[in-house]
Amino acid sequence: MDIKSLSLLNFRNYSHLDIKFSNKLNIFIGNNAQGKTTLLESIYLLAISKSHKTSKDKDLIKFNESYSKVCTVLKKSDLELKLEIIISNQGKKVSINNVEKKKISEYIGTFNVVMFAPEDLDIVKRDPINRRKFLDIEIGQTSSIYIHNLNQYNKILKQRNEYLKSTQINKTIDFPYLDILTEQLAIYAEKILNKRIEFIKKLNVYANKIHEHISNYHEKLYLEYISSFSRDLSKLNLNQIIEVYKKNYNTDLLKGSTQMGIHRDDFRLFVNDIDVSIFGSQGQQRTTALAIKLSLIDFIKDETNFYPIVLLDDVLSELDDLRQSQLLDCIQEKVQTFVTTTNISGIKKEIIDKSDIFFIENGNIINKKEGGNFDKQ
Amino acid sequence: MNYPESVSKLIESLSKLPGVGPKTAERLALHIATKMKEEDALNFAKSLLNVKRELMKCPICGNLTDKNPCSVCRDNTRDRSIIAVVEEVRDLIAMEKMKEYRGMYHVLNGAISPINGIGPQDINLPTLLERLKNEEVKEIIMATNTTIEGESTAMYIAKLLEKTGIKVTRIARGLPVGGGLEYADEVTLLKAIEGRREFK
Ligand SMILES: [Zn+2]
Repeated sequence: MDIKSLSLLNFRNYSHLDIKFSNKLNIFIGNNAQGKTTLLESIYLLAISKSHKTSKDKDLIKFNESYSKVCTVLKKSDLELKLEIIISNQGKKVSINNVEKKKISEYIGTFNVVMFAPEDLDIVKRDPINRRKFLDIEIGQTSSIYIHNLNQYNKILKQRNEYLKSTQINKTIDFPYLDILTEQLAIYAEKILNKRIEFIKKLNVYANKIHEHISNYHEKLYLEYISSFSRDLSKLNLNQIIEVYKKNYNTDLLKGSTQMGIHRDDFRLFVNDIDVSIFGSQGQQRTTALAIKLSLIDFIKDETNFYPIVLLDDVLSELDDLRQSQLLDCIQEKVQTFVTTTNISGIKKEIIDKSDIFFIENGNIINKKEGGNFDKQ
Repeated sequence: MNYPESVSKLIESLSKLPGVGPKTAERLALHIATKMKEEDALNFAKSLLNVKRELMKCPICGNLTDKNPCSVCRDNTRDRSIIAVVEEVRDLIAMEKMKEYRGMYHVLNGAISPINGIGPQDINLPTLLERLKNEEVKEIIMATNTTIEGESTAMYIAKLLEKTGIKVTRIARGLPVGGGLEYADEVTLLKAIEGRREFK
């Protein structure tokens, strides 16, 4: 899987840009606020249909313009695919080979990305919401049914919460209706839960291998899914989930919202049996974040048969030599990679030599240096 | 210069219609004022009043009607042992266009949706339960939409009918007729698999 070209129209600070790519390794160099990250953002948007920086699509339209367009041609085995996203006041239109896709679930997954950014540390260090977002985006990338189930779950959750709130005002409770909302919620909760548990199970295998390697076989990483329904995941079938909800009717009615469910779940990260989010050193937390992100490359390859595109936003020069080498091992010569950096001095010479380097200034490419091409070697 | 008051008022009334903007309203009003025959205008005005004054909801099924009860409820050739429950009158009309269904209807006038302020007590359900006491009904077809709200409404009514012994069925959903599998998206395929049935 390779991105052959990228073109931007009225996207953030870019008026118009066309770039062709012929290499596996590509580096965007420039000072801050020149538009390096925007290039990665546009690739991320083309894959996920959302930006990793903002939840408001309109933020992506260049100031004083009415619409924004991003387009890429990618090569997927023998197939050439043209993907396009147009964002305007009317919303977002996505198309594949000039055919508009009405459902986002029919678009997402055409190609996959793994983005490495300074915020990755949030997955390890911060609130559960960061970890849930990680689960939903990464599983959703490879499963349109997961996205559908998640959307359905959120719709029912909204209705259920609204109903719980309304009983406080109306002072009457229609229990058969509450039962139905609960049953519907549980049906989707179970599907999402199973998919997440399966994902964590797979990630455990890949991530532990990578973590062991980076830590020179001193550390073992283990991920554990924490369900708000029960500590014992093996006992969670549909009927049990419904039972748990029913036992909590009083609390839900009192609070006027649904207290349990996959919207309250989390996963914990253990290094040598110690919760690294709370007790880990800065170094251990960084290694853990890197290991779980790197493990996604193998995960996506196994799920989809294709390698993802890897995006490294301002993180490569932050990594020490060992971690840079580890990253390079995972990427090998199979994964097309886009790197942003303000300075090449922190990046291993081995990587620099092989890369095409694009110099970015004020929303333009002002220079290009071609590196040795893996394909040609 | 402004239009005479009668024209301005007509423009104002027309722009209250869905999909009609000020420009279209102006064009329509001028057409009525200058081109339309007086007889046509009179008929138009009469129909406007008639739909508001003479139409009502059928007290039995909730259908829109000018006679009490509605033409479906009055039709003695129809099968009274089966009732299709739909959300809106337009769903009933869509079912009738098919010309294959010969049972009765019940129009809920909406689906339960707390976020839109519609609770279980706000849909046209009491009359359905009343009907079931008096009429000889053997089957209820839940033909509400396949949205989350349509689904919860169908499940809710099915639950209320659990103890009556009446058979409750749900319309099927899945692949479009004549469509190849390879063109269906994954979610539609999944629904088709989940809703599969045995060959009899
Ligand atoms: Zn009727």
